[in-house]
Amino acid sequence: MADILTQLQEAMDTLCTMFIAGFYYVERHHDLKPFSPTDKIPELKDAPKEVETLDPQTFQAGQAEIANDLVNHARLIEALVSALPGLDNSERDQLQMIRDLEEEIAEVETQRLEAVKERDEVLEQLDGLLKTVLRH
Amino acid sequence: MENHDDDTNKVTAFWPDPPPFWRDFTPQNLARYSRLKEDYSQQQGLDADSITRIPDVPEPLINLQPPPEPTDGKWTAFSEPETLTQTLLSLEEAGIQRLAPATETELDRGLVLKKLTRSLMLNYLELVGLMSHNPDHAADKVEDLKTLMFNFHHTLNEYRPHHAREQLIHLMQDQLEAKRREMAGIRSVVDKAKRMIEGLASIQVPQVDHAADVKGVKPGTKDELKPELRRDAAAWEAIGAEFF
Repeated sequence: MADILTQLQEAMDTLCTMFIAGFYYVERHHDLKPFSPTDKIPELKDAPKEVETLDPQTFQAGQAEIANDLVNHARLIEALVSALPGLDNSERDQLQMIRDLEEEIAEVETQRLEAVKERDEVLEQLDGLLKTVLRH
Repeated sequence: MENHDDDTNKVTAFWPDPPPFWRDFTPQNLARYSRLKEDYSQQQGLDADSITRIPDVPEPLINLQPPPEPTDGKWTAFSEPETLTQTLLSLEEAGIQRLAPATETELDRGLVLKKLTRSLMLNYLELVGLMSHNPDHAADKVEDLKTLMFNFHHTLNEYRPHHAREQLIHLMQDQLEAKRREMAGIRSVVDKAKRMIEGLASIQVPQVDHAADVKGVKPGTKDELKPELRRDAAAWEAIGAEFF
């Protein structure tokens, strides 16, 4: 999983695509209206259809769905922004934290090395003991 | 170098010849160069791997090390200008209007991102309205949307260094945690082993003395005669100790 910043970038790109998709949907599926009472919608047989009119109910439902998706996506982006790590840490805080952690890690590392040494000693002891047992 | 020049000018060659300096990479030259590098690293007290260039190499070895960094920090690769230090182009430099004032605190940056998202949504709604009533004016609105998007992405990019530090902190915390866990594991095993040794020692101490006695007194052939018997005796003693 990518980090949140990358997720945000991708979410923004998706939002862009959704904007365009919304227009495409409306452009593709709207209905046709005459400008004046004498106009007639021509029946084009051969040319590929520019518009595939959907019945008003489906069209509106589609629009509502797109609008819903857009709002949800914007919400997702806001949620991601809120989840950005360290929003309330300033750079100085961070550097201080890093320094503290460095010290702590060094300290724990020496302790760990001591423990490893002790383990090796005990291992040797145990080894010697087992050897004497086996010798008998 | 002169004798390589005619090679590079071949017209009949299907592929261009490799740059002429490949001939300098002979085993002798490589060995000589690595010796020089070692000497230099010892002289300077540096790690041999961290050295990329040695000053004043002899003429035949000059192609064995990478060229120096450009002094002005700029060069072109595939006719694209490159710089040594990669800096984030500011919005103004890129010719885009800055919508939010440059902020230092990260909380503000989060707020800016949220505001930009809301503005984007509103502008899209306006764009949709414009498109249905007056498509001629839509171009300006699209520009606005573009500016908003650029601002959003720029703010994200500005956040990167902060994010990287934050991730470093997380990594370090994980490391600390892992070390602590490892230590606790070692300690518990060591304690267990120590208890075992103590338990064994109470049994084994007389045996060790006994073994030393046996070894000292009867080395060689006789020692091998009765290992069975002795093991039996030890086992019995151990069982005896268990009962106490």
